Amino acid sequence: MFTQRIAWILWPAFLVACGMEVVIFTLFDPADLHFFGEPLEASRMTVYSVGFFVFWALGAASSFLTCFLQRSPWEVNRCPLPATERPEGCPKREGPCCD
Amino acid sequence: MTPPARDAGKGAAPAVPLRATASAAAREEQEHGLFEVRKKIYPRAVTGSFATWRWALVWFTQVIFYGLPWLAWNDRQAVLFDLAARKFYIFGLVFWPQDFIYLTLLLVTAAVALFLFTAVAGRLWCGYACPQTVYTEIFLWIERVFEGDRNARTKLDGAPLTARKLGIKAGKHFAWVAFALWTGFTFVGYFTPIKELGGEVLSLALGPWQMFWIFFYGFATYGNAGWMREQVCKYMCPYARFQGAMFDQDTLIIAYDRERGEPRGARGKKADPKSLGLGACVDCNICVQVCPTGIDIRDGLQYECIGCAACIDGCDQVMEKMGYPKGLIRYSTEHAMQENAGVTGIVNRFIRPRTLVYATILATVVVAGAVALWMRVPLKVDVIRDRGALVREVEDGELENVYRLQVMNATESAHRYRIAVEGINGIRVASEAVIEMAPASTRAFPIRIRVPGAEAKGGSQKIVISVTAEDAADLQVREAAAFLSPRKEGK
Repeated sequence: MFTQRIAWILWPAFLVACGMEVVIFTLFDPADLHFFGEPLEASRMTVYSVGFFVFWALGAASSFLTCFLQRSPWEVNRCPLPATERPEGCPKREGPCCD
Repeated sequence: MTPPARDAGKGAAPAVPLRATASAAAREEQEHGLFEVRKKIYPRAVTGSFATWRWALVWFTQVIFYGLPWLAWNDRQAVLFDLAARKFYIFGLVFWPQDFIYLTLLLVTAAVALFLFTAVAGRLWCGYACPQTVYTEIFLWIERVFEGDRNARTKLDGAPLTARKLGIKAGKHFAWVAFALWTGFTFVGYFTPIKELGGEVLSLALGPWQMFWIFFYGFATYGNAGWMREQVCKYMCPYARFQGAMFDQDTLIIAYDRERGEPRGARGKKADPKSLGLGACVDCNICVQVCPTGIDIRDGLQYECIGCAACIDGCDQVMEKMGYPKGLIRYSTEHAMQENAGVTGIVNRFIRPRTLVYATILATVVVAGAVALWMRVPLKVDVIRDRGALVREVEDGELENVYRLQVMNATESAHRYRIAVEGINGIRVASEAVIEMAPASTRAFPIRIRVPGAEAKGGSQKIVISVTAEDAADLQVREAAAFLSPRKEGK
């Protein structure tokens, strides 16, 4: 479940970051960017690359919140439950939980 | 009836071609199993007409991918997306960020074309051309070279770790990594000139970001094609989830002819299936063994099916050996399966409202893009008024406005351009009217425009500034601007 959640958080964020990269850096030239009022003294390649990871991180933050908030009241209040008491729709109906 | 179609796209889920034999509960269990711990899939090698097609497309797409960056044009790389200089070179054309519209049109064309192909022939893209399929195919081939086919691989994985096993595995991973790095290198070669990049690699003088992205892309290739494989299609690919929305009952799918096949069962080659009460399916499981996503097509259409037709090739070979007619598993449509229609029945239904709508949109976008590209003038001019001084009276009672001309020469040769202005009697360019531009460059020029005092009407008057190449009259841009003058008293 843990690795699954990591994938849910990182993968959609990666796709969104790819789109952001194309749109943002088509519209804005890194050479024109200012950082706290000072011209950004970094090569375009650096800004493109760092920018991609910033977009990815922001997307991942959003996915993380989605994953975090979508937990049902059951999970928030009662998890981990013994196997026999796990509700309908629980991805871990049997076996150990939360590994 | 529901289990097979349940996941095949929520929209127009193709309902019935075939029904599930596995009970819903069994499937549920299997899905949960896969959801948590992936069972490694060992696809068996398959030969046949569709496998040949797939390999042909692997070669076609990859010769282009690996070869294109090495192609030269006008003494430069023919296809280069020069991110550092913000210029895209595609053969004879140079694109700038201002040409974003063409990229948009290209993406829209690709999307609508995908819709059209999907509506007509299902997941052709997934089965034959998607990089995930192509690289998985290549990586599987490497794996087979080192480890052998399906049975040998399962046996090897089950065997204890010996020096021989270690050697085989190390060899395989070494070949995978080498291939993946070459792929990463080629990918980066689309964004920085590949010949220089090659020189930098050989002299170990690679820039940090180039090195990073070669490894990043190489790692993604290695991970996706070597390890993730069908999981990318099943869990990561958005297209796999929404392709069902473009399906209808006349879309080509890979279908198992349940009526002919069931009841399935093993039998001798010479046995008469009718007297045994059996259908054509000999239950050899070849269709399952060759499936790269590990599904049983006999359970009906499933969203995991990438339409690669490996099961068709596999089944056809078995049918041939048994002396049965081929096509127990075949490309067909839901309608054709219900009506037992042949090829013409299927082809006749290719033209239907859905495909006509997709085709019309596609044709419109392609024509619009082609016309826009054909009419594109590789010269761009922006006129910006100087905000500092609105208007100035100069000698001989003339009035002067100052502008900044942002000129972009998007051709690959140097040009001399003449600046002219019209719109008011006696209007003229008082500054240098001829400018020189280097190939594929942008520059800003301040220009001063003067109008005789008597012709200035006060307020804002429309003028047109034109920039024309001296050696090519059609290389011309006309930009509207405003000439300001003070309002005259008494008016």
